Amino acid sequence: MNKKKNQWKAWLYLLPALVVLGIFTVWPIINTIRMGFLEGYNSAGERLGQPFSFGFANFSNVVGYREFTTCLGNTLLLTVVTVPISTMLALLIAVALNSIKPLKKLFQTIFFLPYVTNSIAIGMVFMAMFSMIGVVPGRDPDSIGIINTIIEAFGGSHIDWVNQTSSWGANFFVLVVFIVWNALPFKILVLLGGLQNVDKQYYDAAKVDGASRWRIFWRVTVPLLSPMIAYVVITGFIGGFKEYNSIVGIFGDTMGPNTQPGKWNTMVGYIIQNVSGFQGRASAAAIILFAIIFAVTLVNLYVSKKKVHY
Amino acid sequence: MKVVLQHLTKIFPSRNKKDKNAEVVAVNDFNLEIPDGKLIGLLGPSGCGKSTTLYMISGLQAPSNGKIFFGDDDVTALAPENRGIGLVFQNYALYPHMTVQQNILFPLQNLKGENRLSKEEMLTRAYEVAKLVQIDEYMDRKPSELSGGQQQRVAIARALVKMPRVLLLDEPLSNLDARLRLQTREEIRRIQRDTQITTIFVTHDQEEAMSISDFIVVMKLGVIMQTGKPQWVYDDPANLFVAKFLGTPPINVFTGSVRGGVLYIGEEEVLSVPGVEDQDVYIGIRPEGFVLDENGGLTCAISGIDVMGRDVSVVSTNAASLNSVVRSIISADEMGKISGETVKFRLKPHKVFLFNRESEQRVYFGDQMAAHEAMVAQMAEEGQNYVTHEGPLPREADDAAKEEVSVPVKKGILAKIKGIFKRSKDEKPEIAEEIPEAAEETPESVEEPHAEEPVKEEGTPEGETTDQEG
Amino acid sequence: MSDEMKKLNENDASSEAQMTSEGEAVAAENDVIAAIARRQRVKKVFAQIGLYTFLTVMAVIVIFPFYWMLISSFKTQPEYNAYTPTLWPRQFLWQNYKGLFVDVHENGIVIEGVADQLNLGTLFLNTVLVGVVSTILSLIVTVLSAYAFARLEFKGKNVLFALMLATMMIPGELFTITNYVTVGATGLGWVSHSAAEQVTTGESFRAFLALVIPFLVSVFYIYLLRQNFMQIPNELYLAAKVDGTSDLKYLWKVMIPLSAPTLISITILKMMGAWNSYVWPNLVAGEAFKLVTVGLRGAAFKTNELINYPLQMAAVVLVTLPLLIIFIFFRKYIMRGVSRSGIKG
Repeated sequence: MNKKKNQWKAWLYLLPALVVLGIFTVWPIINTIRMGFLEGYNSAGERLGQPFSFGFANFSNVVGYREFTTCLGNTLLLTVVTVPISTMLALLIAVALNSIKPLKKLFQTIFFLPYVTNSIAIGMVFMAMFSMIGVVPGRDPDSIGIINTIIEAFGGSHIDWVNQTSSWGANFFVLVVFIVWNALPFKILVLLGGLQNVDKQYYDAAKVDGASRWRIFWRVTVPLLSPMIAYVVITGFIGGFKEYNSIVGIFGDTMGPNTQPGKWNTMVGYIIQNVSGFQGRASAAAIILFAIIFAVTLVNLYVSKKKVHY
Repeated sequence: MKVVLQHLTKIFPSRNKKDKNAEVVAVNDFNLEIPDGKLIGLLGPSGCGKSTTLYMISGLQAPSNGKIFFGDDDVTALAPENRGIGLVFQNYALYPHMTVQQNILFPLQNLKGENRLSKEEMLTRAYEVAKLVQIDEYMDRKPSELSGGQQQRVAIARALVKMPRVLLLDEPLSNLDARLRLQTREEIRRIQRDTQITTIFVTHDQEEAMSISDFIVVMKLGVIMQTGKPQWVYDDPANLFVAKFLGTPPINVFTGSVRGGVLYIGEEEVLSVPGVEDQDVYIGIRPEGFVLDENGGLTCAISGIDVMGRDVSVVSTNAASLNSVVRSIISADEMGKISGETVKFRLKPHKVFLFNRESEQRVYFGDQMAAHEAMVAQMAEEGQNYVTHEGPLPREADDAAKEEVSVPVKKGILAKIKGIFKRSKDEKPEIAEEIPEAAEETPESVEEPHAEEPVKEEGTPEGETTDQEG
Repeated sequence: MSDEMKKLNENDASSEAQMTSEGEAVAAENDVIAAIARRQRVKKVFAQIGLYTFLTVMAVIVIFPFYWMLISSFKTQPEYNAYTPTLWPRQFLWQNYKGLFVDVHENGIVIEGVADQLNLGTLFLNTVLVGVVSTILSLIVTVLSAYAFARLEFKGKNVLFALMLATMMIPGELFTITNYVTVGATGLGWVSHSAAEQVTTGESFRAFLALVIPFLVSVFYIYLLRQNFMQIPNELYLAAKVDGTSDLKYLWKVMIPLSAPTLISITILKMMGAWNSYVWPNLVAGEAFKLVTVGLRGAAFKTNELINYPLQMAAVVLVTLPLLIIFIFFRKYIMRGVSRSGIKG
């Protein structure tokens, strides 16, 4: 009856959202593509009337840069290593949590804690734990840090994990530990939720059928949970490709040990570094990042369609 | 394999932390010997403890007290997989991600050590069982691609493939539509005959239990009410509950009294009951126990006639009846005798059962006692023990209180909306008030979900087998 | 098959008969059963021990950084820097917390404390301001849009909604580049990216705008709330119309109260987002309007040329504590929002 009136009312309600989305979401999509394909684009130059020609130079340049390939390699490596580890660990913890009764709530709360923390702040704690103090070449450090102390207590010898002389492998280990630690809560939460929705009768049936705990885990739990596992893996990959905060947390803006800045820079780090001066380059990198995320998500969806049951 | 249950008891702890006494006795001192190779139906209304009993036999729930023997083996402490049982779940619990073949193979693949079969042997075995339950052509399908009846068979095949000593079925037909149900119950009967495996199945449907069981066990509130061959239990109910629970249409119950060896309903003399002391009684009359007779003692006001082909069901009312209407079934040939607004019945003595008003236990009259003794003697000869419940029947007296405890307090508008629905549901029993006692216990009222709540729900979150559950 | 089974049962029956005749055999068999039962029990106990051990070890690993952060914040620098660190402070000292707010000067040079450099009070204030304002504005915008999508009919509704959902696919970093330009001098002029573009008057307010406005609208929250609104039965709306209730009043009196849990989830996640945000504020606001995470990461906690870890840990504790407190009180809402979104903050 008063359809006309409702029409403009609806648009009025949507107006604030549409304005903000238009300026800060829709325009960036268009503009990023534009900047990505204008060779050598930068906003300062455009303001001064500098002409840019259309082409793929940004992309070919970016791919050629040593720093970019380092970023791409770091991002891929960290993602590919941390996602399976954190998923597997989260699955084990979720299943264990689901099969105990006393103290369950307490454990659940503890495992969720890393989620509600500021990952940069906690990254600083990890840095402190792995860090040695007063490292001067040729002299024993004043303090070897708590992690090294624990290692020595178990008979190992201390390692420079994150300081000036730290090796690539040591850094990598610390980052993997921190990223996995950070990624666990969300995965546990989702998987535990999934487990609680699995019909208890399947477990009763498996018990009657004489399946061992291990077999129940692999043949019943994992397949029945596969939609949730797929979800966790996909979001894990997406999050992994956007990794940035964890590295800032550990190493700070230098994205690497003080003496080796940029050693652990990531795709997002690369984009941010180029935001202020080289928007063309940054846009090309962002488009590449988007393409990778898109492709990986498609592959994941395809695989999970084949592997995920019902 | 003979199954013996001794003093089997299951008590679920209180769900309400404040009231520790609110524990629920799901099964109470259950004693039964189940003979080898028979098909036994555990029958009773929802919440009577029949499923709990089955789960205790399977080992999925540990009894609070009592023992379970398979043959001479005390299996009480054994886990399900060490008992040699097969269990078919109400919802089948087929693994949705496995094909039919993988589902059937699963129990075999779990075998270890000397029991382990070779791959070929496993396959052969799986195909044999599949053929037995006639699903061998669907081996490559997923459960979701099968009909309910086919899923049911797969579940049976999975239970049978390990060659269990005892096969347990939990409400095996409740998820099937009416036509399939008839067909499948015959199928279960056939499979049991073929395999000769002692089979125990649980149902709330008395027709189902009566039609295929060698032997039925009627339960109420965790206590055995009566055991025996279905026809015997129907013909010779030990108490009012059993009489009301068996039979479709249900038995007609009247209040009345015995004075000087004569049975009165209201002020009408309806039957001579020699050998019965003067007392107030409940009178149960099977629908087929009425005979149209102008000189009959029982007068009822006709309210309708349902023609069912060969038979006719006369629906009438009587002031002393506890059911809202009196249903009698007479031959269609006799229909001509009905005229006017009232009808007079003569009663067939062997279709009339008297029960003491206080204890609700059977009061035998005439030659009923002799027939009863002959039946017990024959059971003993066949090696089956006759069990009935002695003394007053268990009552659902504090059910209302329990329910109040079990309904969680919800806040918010949605809860209020639900509250409205709840209230309208609560208003319904007004109808039931006309037939106070009958409504409480007849099989129809049993379907009401509230009767099920206390025991079933307790069983899930607090039971012994819940380590997988959150 | 069936024959085989019959045979099996017969075997059972016959062997049973034999055994009952020989009481010893029965006893032996019951011993076997007892042994199986014992093995079962042992297995179960070991499984339980295994489960709890695993969970405890993992829990210790998860909680250790928190523990280390907390106890370190109470240590003196020498105690922390000792070759063998202590697992429990020799003495609980508040001096590090004091050092966050009060500097110790010597000859006009700060020799201890980071108060001047870190300015924690201002950081907290800035962050809370950004959090509260952006949450309130965001809630208003989200509620209005969700209402339009859930209850009102207009041309192109479904297409628009689908398009909005599609933008969720795109990583936020892609927007950052253009938005950086947009809020700069050539665009809206909220922030100055270089000295040449210096905007002098109301610099912090403009920076504040740059922090709040671009992330005001979250398509995901609109989606979440729309789903919630759609679950409310239409009859309530029609009943309200019959009573002559206006749309806005209905929205305020019925739909918002009924969707309170979702709105609370959104509020908490949005506040946590402000508290944890780093990339964007670091990029655009800089000194003009510093948020807590940026300030924390940027500060040099140095005393005598060495990083003063106890001081740093004290700062980290103060940044982490509000989040943990919120978590304790709103656990349910946080978990609900999280499990549906998969996004942090």
